[in-house]
Order: sequence, then C-alpha cells, then structure tokens
Amino acid sequence: MVANKMFFNMIFKNIFVRMNKTLIILLSIVVGAAIISSFSSIYFDISVKMSKELRAYGANFFIGKHDINSKDNIYISDYKKALSYIDKEKLVGASPLIYGMVRLDLGNAVLGGIDFKQAKKINPFWQIEGSWINVAFDKNNCMIGKTLAKNMELKVGSKVTVKSLKTNFNKKLTVKGIIDSGQAEDNQIFVNFDFAGEILDTKDTFNFAMLSVMYDGDSINTLAKQINKNVPDLKAKPIRKVSSSEGKILNKIKGLMAIIALMILVITTLCVSTTLISSVAERSREIGLQKAIGAKNSDITKQFLVENAIVTTIGIIIGLIVGYFLAQLMGKAVFGSSIEMRIQVIPITFIISFCASMIAALLPIKKVLQILPANVLRGE
Amino acid sequence: MSDKKNVLKIKNLVKSFGDVKALDNINLEINEGEWVAIMGPSGSGKTTLINILSLMDDISEGEFTLAGDDASSLSEEEKVVFRREKIGLIFQQFHLIPYLSAVENVMLAQYYHSVTDEEEAKKVLTKVGLGHRLEHLPSQLSGGEQQRVCIARALINEPEVLLADEPTGNLDEENEKIVLSIFKDLHKEGKTIILITHNPELGKHADKVLMLKHGKVDKG
Ligand SMILES: Nc1ncnc2c1ncn2[C@@H]1O[C@H](COP(=O)(O)OP(=O)(O)O)[C@@H](O)[C@H]1O
Ligand SMILES: [Mg+2]
Repeated sequence: MVANKMFFNMIFKNIFVRMNKTLIILLSIVVGAAIISSFSSIYFDISVKMSKELRAYGANFFIGKHDINSKDNIYISDYKKALSYIDKEKLVGASPLIYGMVRLDLGNAVLGGIDFKQAKKINPFWQIEGSWINVAFDKNNCMIGKTLAKNMELKVGSKVTVKSLKTNFNKKLTVKGIIDSGQAEDNQIFVNFDFAGEILDTKDTFNFAMLSVMYDGDSINTLAKQINKNVPDLKAKPIRKVSSSEGKILNKIKGLMAIIALMILVITTLCVSTTLISSVAERSREIGLQKAIGAKNSDITKQFLVENAIVTTIGIIIGLIVGYFLAQLMGKAVFGSSIEMRIQVIPITFIISFCASMIAALLPIKKVLQILPANVLRGE
Repeated sequence: MSDKKNVLKIKNLVKSFGDVKALDNINLEINEGEWVAIMGPSGSGKTTLINILSLMDDISEGEFTLAGDDASSLSEEEKVVFRREKIGLIFQQFHLIPYLSAVENVMLAQYYHSVTDEEEAKKVLTKVGLGHRLEHLPSQLSGGEQQRVCIARALINEPEVLLADEPTGNLDEENEKIVLSIFKDLHKEGKTIILITHNPELGKHADKVLMLKHGKVDKG
C-alpha cells in the first residue's frame, strides 16, 4: 500500500508537471475516441437510416399485371395476399393505384385512385400546397397535380366538377391539395382508391401497386420470386435501379467512414507517440537517476504504461461523450435524425483507442529502456 | 587492515570509448570500512571509474570483482539489485527529482529498494541537518542543502559502500565543511567510502588515495 502511494505519487506528479504534453496526448485521444465512437454509432445505425433516407426517393418495388397492355383485371384480394409476404418491419409504404379518364370542367384528365396515407410515406419528397387527404372515406375532396391545376385554372379550395366517361357519376369536388412531384402525377387528379373505383366502375380491381420496402440486393429479388410463385396472377419486381444503388452507396459510405476512422487513428497514434518520445527525452536524466538509485527497467516501464493508461482512459471517457454529440450532429446533418448510441460502441471505442495508445507507447518505451544512467548523469 | 573483508578489487582494468582509453591499467583494492579518495585533473577518468564501480558501465578489459563475485557475470537486473542493495550514490550535480520534496526524494530510493518509510526518511534527513527542510522542493533548497538531500538518499537503504563523485564540487566552503563532517561521521560508523575530489583537503582524510592522470595511475 505504502509502496503504491509512491508509485502513484510519481505518476500523478509526472502527469501534472508535464501538463502541456499531457494535454496534447489527452486531446489526441479525445479526438480519436470521439471519431471512433461517433463513426461506429453511425455505422451501426446507418443501414436503417440510409435505407429510410433512400426510400425517400420513392417506390422501389412494383406489383402489377404480367402484360401491361392486357385488358385483364387484377384484384385487390391478390394484392393483399402479396403484401402478406413482406416483413411489416421493412415495409415503408404500399399503395395500389387505379387509373381512368374523367371529364373535368375544362377538359379530360387522368384520374387516379390512391391510398393517400401510404402515398405520403412512399413519396415524402412530394411538395404539397394545401394539405393531404387524410381519411380513406373522404368523397368530397381531391388532390390535383400542379400542371393540371394550372391548365384547369384550379387553386387550393377551388371546386371542380368530375364527370365519369363510363358511369353517370357527376360531382363537384373540392381541391384539398396541389401536388408537385416533378413526375407524371403533376398531370393527374387523385381521389381515394375506393372512391375512384366507384367513379371509374372498377370495383375491387387495380392497375398496379407501388411499394417502398427496406430490402436490399438479393433479399429484394428473393421477395419478388416468393410473391410471383405464391400469387401467380400478379407480377412482382424490384425497380432495380434504386434498390441496387442503395446497397452500393451504403457500402461506399461505410468504407469511406472506415478509411477516415483508420486515418484519424493513425494520426492519433503518431501524435501520442511523438509526444511521449519528446517526454522521454525531456525526462531522460530523471529516468537515468531512477535507474541509478535502483529502479529496474520493468519498474520504469510499468510507471510509464500506467501513466499513459490513466491519461488514455480519461481521454477515452471524454471522447465517448464528445463522440455521442458528434454522432447526433452528423446524424442531424446527414440523415435529419438522431443516432442511437448502441452499447457496443463503448467497448469498441475503448479497446481500439486503448490499443492505439499502447502501440503508440512502444517506441517511447524502447527509448526508456535504452537510457543508460552513466550517460545521462554524466553531464558536467 | 588486512584482516578486513574485501569489498571490491580491480585488476589491470581498461576502459575504452572507441580508441580513447579513459582508464588504462588500473589496479585497486578496497576493504570494508576504508575511505578511498580518487583524485586527478578533469578528464582523467574519475567519473568513468565511479560508473564502473557502481555497475552503471562495463569494463573493456581486466578484472572487476565485487565481494568476491565477477561483476561481468552479473545480468543487467542483478546489477541494478546489487547497486540498490549495496551502494549509495552521490553526484556532483545532486540529481534530485525536481517535483518531489526532500523527503519524497529520499523515499523514492526506499521505494525502489523495498518499501517506503517516511519516518525513517525524515530521520536520515534530520541526521544530515535538514530536519527543517523536509517538505521543500529542490528548487527551494540551497546547493548545500540539495547535496545533503542527495547524501540522505544515498544513505537511506544503509548501503555498504558510498560512492561520491565530487560531492563538494558545486558547494561553497561552509557547505563543504558540513558535507565533509558528514563523511567523517560515516567513516567512523564504519562505512566504506569512495570519494572523488579535486580538493586535497578532502583527500587528506582518506586511508588510500588513487591519483589519476590521463586514465593512468599517477605515481608522481
Ligand atoms: N561515454 C563516453 N564516450 C566517449 N568518451 C567518454 C565517455 N565518457 C567519458 N569519456 C572520456 O573519457 C575521459 C575521462 O572522462 P571522465 O571519466 O568523465 O573524467 P573526469 O571525471 O576525471 O573528469 C574523457 O576524455 C572523456 O571525454
Ligand atoms: Mg567527473
């Protein structure tokens, strides 16, 4: 116990006497640990976050007819069966669509029936003026594409008469929202799916469905095969472009993060190492004296390592805290959401940073061992 | 004196640094309780000899036996253990740890030797006249006081041999006297003392004087 007191006395005095060097080492380790912890937090969260993020670019899975031009009907009951093969956790949104021509006050237009709630999830990038239709039984409101609204001289709150070309449906609807999708929807008018079925007289059938799912690469193909096998009347297929690039981007970002983390780790190690070497040079007389009065190499190595371990541990703890906030900052900036701090980030950060710091101490320790008391104490 | 135990013995010792022979054909035998003075001009090899005697440096040629054992047969670790068990070192430049107080500097030698004992450390410091300077840092002490801390540190583990390299070289006359009287007392207590000095006054008290010149024994 008493001997330990002297041991720690030496260590803490050394830490405080060489405060500048201690702070440089501490800061290097804080930076290294912060980067490792924030990057690994994001790394673990990124698959989920990136998928959601990329899903924001629209549907990546299609269910429809085998032959787009065929006049055969496909049925909602089959669509529901197909949906049952999709993992609920991975389903971002899914909506069947039904299309048909209608007559508006100023001319003909394509009317689409859609599940608005789901469409909102599939297409979060749609810009809406006014608001979404939020209940499925709403038969008084419609939403209308930006271009069509302009052509038909309609604004949010305007009334528009919708006449069916097939049935004698004829009703004034209120424009609840104007859609700016930058795509075909800008030329269409939308009502609730079931309502559209009445207007177009297509009850219980649909043209196709768009889905946004968090499956990637192979698993999305497997999903398509499974649906095609079990629901033969429908054709299911990934909209390949989006889903395969998603995995690639994800892997690229992960790789990039690993490279950056590695580079920072190398810099941290070098910085700690050079600081320790200059610290050894600074205290070479002291070390020589310790050896002269009876310290073995192992005594001094132990003192040096424990001293480094204490500073490193403090650095890692601060680094973990900084890393947590850094992860939140990056999460907000890149994904617009917070990053969950997973418990495994703590041991990962600790082990990697600690090893790096101990590796950094190898060369300085070699210098410590090389110090000969006769040489350093000679100075006249 | 011949019935006294032999502490160390060197025979035909040569120490070279490259082609410089810092010590050339030195013979020396020191018995228990003897006071040996090593004298000679600067650069004559005095410190080199002390480094060899304190096992901090190896010899190039010749023989060096410590209490009957061949010094060159000791491992590095055995040398450290031997030094901390048997030898007390005193340096001209004191070499105290600047951030440790007087008593802590003494306790450090205890720590590497075995266990620290603050009371014992204080006792030895009091013995060298520093009872009122225990908690002072080296920077708060005069040269003479620092040298006495250094002596206390050398004495704390009760070594058989004291090796002092110009211990009064950086001191004024008054402090030199104090240090000299400490050495006299130690000699009376029966300690073996090997003292390097420029000062003939200090040399006078020695049982044996080894005069060095250009690394050789100067018999003139
Ligand atoms: N490590 C060394 N490398 C080279 N030459 C050395 C070394 N140590 C001492 N010398 C040389 O050995 C000679 C004796 O030095 P030293 O023992 O320090 O003399 P003194 O202590 O008597 O002044 C000097 O010429 C010195 O330059
Ligand atoms: Mg000298």
